[in-house]
Amino acid sequence: MTTVVKVILLIVLSEALNVVAHILFKKSANTVDVTNIRGVSGHIVYLKKLLADRLIWIGFGFQVLCVATWLIALAQADLSFVFPIGSIQYIFVLFSAHIFLGEKIDKMKLTGTLMVVAGIILITMS
Amino acid sequence: MKKGHLTLKVFALIILNDLLDSLAQLAMKKGLADTGITSITFHNVFEFGLQSLSSWFVWAGILIYVISFILWLVIIYRIDLSIAMPVGSAAYVFIPIMAIMFLHEHVSPIRWLGIALVILGIHFTAQSKKDPILK
Repeated sequence: MTTVVKVILLIVLSEALNVVAHILFKKSANTVDVTNIRGVSGHIVYLKKLLADRLIWIGFGFQVLCVATWLIALAQADLSFVFPIGSIQYIFVLFSAHIFLGEKIDKMKLTGTLMVVAGIILITMS
Repeated sequence: MKKGHLTLKVFALIILNDLLDSLAQLAMKKGLADTGITSITFHNVFEFGLQSLSSWFVWAGILIYVISFILWLVIIYRIDLSIAMPVGSAAYVFIPIMAIMFLHEHVSPIRWLGIALVILGIHFTAQSKKDPILK
């Protein structure tokens, strides 16, 4: 396998792991009653509750794997090559948030996400 | 506060989170460059790991990541994940603009087009409320 193919696969894998982690974080955050979160003390209670949740730590494990694969990719390629491919995470999150969290996909979100991805590719490649 | 609505406060928190993330990336890239390893195989992946973790910059990057993670947890209970993540791409706009202002970097027309697309994309994503396609 050439280095280029290896790096592309690593980045896609890294972003998939990243999205899994974020889905788990959000799933955990969704279980907390948000009406009680007020002021600094409210936020500390909220954070304590989240950090006591197993989902957060499983998500954290995925995040560590994500960073590890990202670092392995980054060490072998320029940031300007790695970053545009990484923008695939916005596509991943759009669909996985719909499937696993029930977040709706509407025309605005779909158009917005695609524009962000196209924009990032142009910014980071040029 | 209405849940799921992108307020200026949430937007500001997301931008701050972006800036921390960029700083972490920068620190880690510096740390990795210092290891001098440019190709990773199964044979040297362990050595790569050890060398990386002996770098101060890599640890500084990890520390900044932890701080930005806690901030992120504070952000996501307020808003849909599929809105928070694309809005987080605002870093791609702020960093080039800062580079132009402070570092006097030249920005090509294609890059300007990309910046405009990201801004429009964030605008559309933040508007997301009506006409669900799939649900």
